[in-house]
Amino acid sequence: MDEELKKFKIVRNVSLLFFALLLFTSLKLQLIEGRKYYRLSEENCIREKYIVPPRGKIFDRNNIELANTRPGFYVSVTRACVDESSLQKIADILGIKEKIIKDRLHLQKNPYVPVKIAHDITYQQLALIEEELEDLKEVQVGVEPLRNYPYQDLLFHVIGYVGEVTEQELKDGKYILGDYVGRMGLEKFYETSLQGKRGVEYIEVDARGRELRKLSEKRPCPPIPGKDLYTTLDVALTESVAVYLSNYERAACVCLNPENGEVLVLYSKPGFDPNLFIHGIEKSQWQIINKDLNAPMFNRTIMSCYPPGSTFKPFIALAGLDSRMVDKDRYFKPCFGKLRLGRRIFKCWRPHGRLNLIDALIKSCDIYFYQLGTFIGIDTIVSRIKKIGFGKKMGIDLPNEKEGFLPNRKWYEKRYGKNWTSGHIYNLSIGQGDLLVTPLQLACAYTVFVNDGKIPIPHLIKTDSVKYIDTGISSDAINIVCEGLKGVVAAGTGILARLKHYEVWGKTGTAQNPHGKDHALFIGLAPAQDPKILVCVVVENAGHGGSVAAPIAGRIIKAFLTQETALTEK
Amino acid sequence: MIKKIDTTILTTIIMLTIIGLIMIFSAAGKNYFIRQTIWLGTGLLFLLLFCQVTPRFWSNFAPIVYGLSILSLIFILVHHSGYPRRWITFNSISIQPSEFAKFATIIMLASYLSTKKSLKKFPDILVPLFIIAIPMFLIFIEPDLGASQIFFPILLLMLYWSGMPGAKLFIFFSPIISAAASFSIYIWVAYMIFLVVFLYFHKQLYDLIYGLITNLLAGLMMPVIWNSLKTYQQKRIISFFSPWLDPRGMSWQVIQSKIAIGSGRIYGKGFLSGTQKKLAFLPERHTDFIFSCLGEEFGFLGIAITIILYIYLFYKLLNLARETKNRFSSLFVIGVFAWLSYQTFLNIGMTMGLIPVTGVPLPFISYGGSALFAGLMAIGLCLAISKHKMIY
Repeated sequence: MDEELKKFKIVRNVSLLFFALLLFTSLKLQLIEGRKYYRLSEENCIREKYIVPPRGKIFDRNNIELANTRPGFYVSVTRACVDESSLQKIADILGIKEKIIKDRLHLQKNPYVPVKIAHDITYQQLALIEEELEDLKEVQVGVEPLRNYPYQDLLFHVIGYVGEVTEQELKDGKYILGDYVGRMGLEKFYETSLQGKRGVEYIEVDARGRELRKLSEKRPCPPIPGKDLYTTLDVALTESVAVYLSNYERAACVCLNPENGEVLVLYSKPGFDPNLFIHGIEKSQWQIINKDLNAPMFNRTIMSCYPPGSTFKPFIALAGLDSRMVDKDRYFKPCFGKLRLGRRIFKCWRPHGRLNLIDALIKSCDIYFYQLGTFIGIDTIVSRIKKIGFGKKMGIDLPNEKEGFLPNRKWYEKRYGKNWTSGHIYNLSIGQGDLLVTPLQLACAYTVFVNDGKIPIPHLIKTDSVKYIDTGISSDAINIVCEGLKGVVAAGTGILARLKHYEVWGKTGTAQNPHGKDHALFIGLAPAQDPKILVCVVVENAGHGGSVAAPIAGRIIKAFLTQETALTEK
Repeated sequence: MIKKIDTTILTTIIMLTIIGLIMIFSAAGKNYFIRQTIWLGTGLLFLLLFCQVTPRFWSNFAPIVYGLSILSLIFILVHHSGYPRRWITFNSISIQPSEFAKFATIIMLASYLSTKKSLKKFPDILVPLFIIAIPMFLIFIEPDLGASQIFFPILLLMLYWSGMPGAKLFIFFSPIISAAASFSIYIWVAYMIFLVVFLYFHKQLYDLIYGLITNLLAGLMMPVIWNSLKTYQQKRIISFFSPWLDPRGMSWQVIQSKIAIGSGRIYGKGFLSGTQKKLAFLPERHTDFIFSCLGEEFGFLGIAITIILYIYLFYKLLNLARETKNRFSSLFVIGVFAWLSYQTFLNIGMTMGLIPVTGVPLPFISYGGSALFAGLMAIGLCLAISKHKMIY
């Protein structure tokens, strides 16, 4: 009996101990840590859902939409809940490899947050998914605002494009998976204001991550749409420019309002349809674009550096006149088509005979400018030219602008040693050799003739406060060079840019190019009394500036002044 | 006759089953609720029927009951296609023979042990071990690890209750501990030191020799056997025992279950308003994890009441086992006590993350006809025993 009681007590006490342990554990979970677990249970089933704000629109100067948004269907998947067969099915429908989807899903750390795996699916795909949605319960379809570019490749370089956020950008925490980021042009430069602020709504979900209902208890925060961008661009004029340049493969064109620096046209050819980036471009396609020798991704107007050729001569003349070392009646040795310097012979494109400064500009005589350049010297040239903006960025509101290159005495000495010769100055004087400029720099430099020595900073957004660079060049010098520029179109090399009702002035240029045919350049302004437009045309490997670039510039000017477009003209 | 039934045990059981019905309604809906109610009704009828049968009947027919249950276990292994092989299906009713095997095995063990007047030596353990080994093995290969492990504590407690000294039991089964401990050399050395000290104070030469030899053999052989296995075989075994090998590595289920219970706090979120349960964060919420729903919707109050009911039930059973004069009856009741209390602890401990997840239902509360039925049958027999407890 005693033995029985002992066993009974042992079993009873041991069992009691175990059940007391259960009670204490529940006490700990519910009373001591209850608050924590309650919060966890709330978080478990309430999910923050981000609402993508519509991106700000981009307008041209006449309020035509250059970039807007359209609705598009997306597909999203919750990693924690999706199974193999659903993944495979959705991969089949979308035509994406399963592995790519999986990699994408793993970019999102929290497996319970849905990840967008495809944007802008077609109606056919949508119908197929909707049909199978019962079997694909972890898959959701929704509507989101997508970027749309009605003008396709026409404004590709200046507007830029948006692309999906990369892994690297995700690490900064500014973006979330599925966001679109401005990648080039205005889209990139004004990213922060175009982007807007994403909204949040609170959604009750179940354990499979399916959305059940919007939570009324927690107030949603609506998205703030991105700010619209009102640009100075003229899309009608750009269309005309594209038509006039349609015969050439590679070209750049800048049109400015020379008085205030508003950019009307910034056209680079070839371009690319930015709408293709929205869809998500495939690697193979991307490689094709990058390997294309015509470099469609390259904005030639601000990134391409050309030797300016004869279009640079007015600035040599300006430097000479401003330094008062020459006047407009200065004569040098007459031009017989050749100039000997030591053993080397420098040529002119044709013999011009005896010329004064203005005639030399009109006829674009190289021999005259060789002599003018060496006469005033490298330091005089560089000190004036620098003020006009060569060799540094113009400060336009676009990313990736290039500086070009302006050599100086120090650079020549470093590069060619002590015995660098007048030959280098010869080359510099006619805009060849080591000097490199972007089409935008060249265009801006010519505004110096309009604004009495001041150069407005080029810009793409309408503004009342335009900033100017003061070059300090005397108006006497400017007036003399202007006279020459008038003569260029009236009777000189730029005669093909002449228009019936308007007086145009400008300068041709033919940039020698070691890799092929010369680049044709022309810069024109009109009307002469009060220039409203400045056009800078660069056509790569097309030949002479006077024969190729000048007529195009003339037609562009005409299209702008008469408000006719190339399309109506035809 | 009915008046003589121990109504306190019956009331406790009914209260627990009502808690179960409420939670099944909340966790799984009306259909499950209705089905469980039907099971409960018929189960209670069987319980009342079993009250009328004298314990002597069971003692006499124990081999037949045991044999039938073994046959049913073999039957599903042979006839069931697909895994796991746990159910026999007649029309729309599925029966889980493993639940009834527990009941039958306890009867068989009680019947066998009651014929032995004194159990003091190791060989006395062999026959009872064989009795549980058959159903345990058959259920293990179904596979149903949760159900098969219940037999072991039943055997231990019944042997202990029938007079086998605890020290002897420990020494007999110690090689198992040695084999398990051999996966870590430090744990094994510590265990062996403890064993040697224990055996020294035990002061029995044969036990000492047996204990040392078997433990050394088990501890040294285990790594050799393990290393001779192919990698895929090792992996298969690890995955089979994974919850026990990695008790701290908490699974998704356990985390969700702990959140459910913890978020219930004192008074719970209220009937039908548990978010964890409602939104399907809880797996198996009407069977293995029903206790988590209870904790979420009725809070600490609900849990405390339920656990106290269980404690009261088990206390009454233990008391009955002590008071019963008949050796078979006493052993049967202690077997039922071991079965139900161990399973309850295993289930609740699992939902609170105390012990690894093995799928065992919570007695009288979890959804499932077979488990409820077997439980009610066993309790019916206990009630019959309580009527006859003064008869030797």
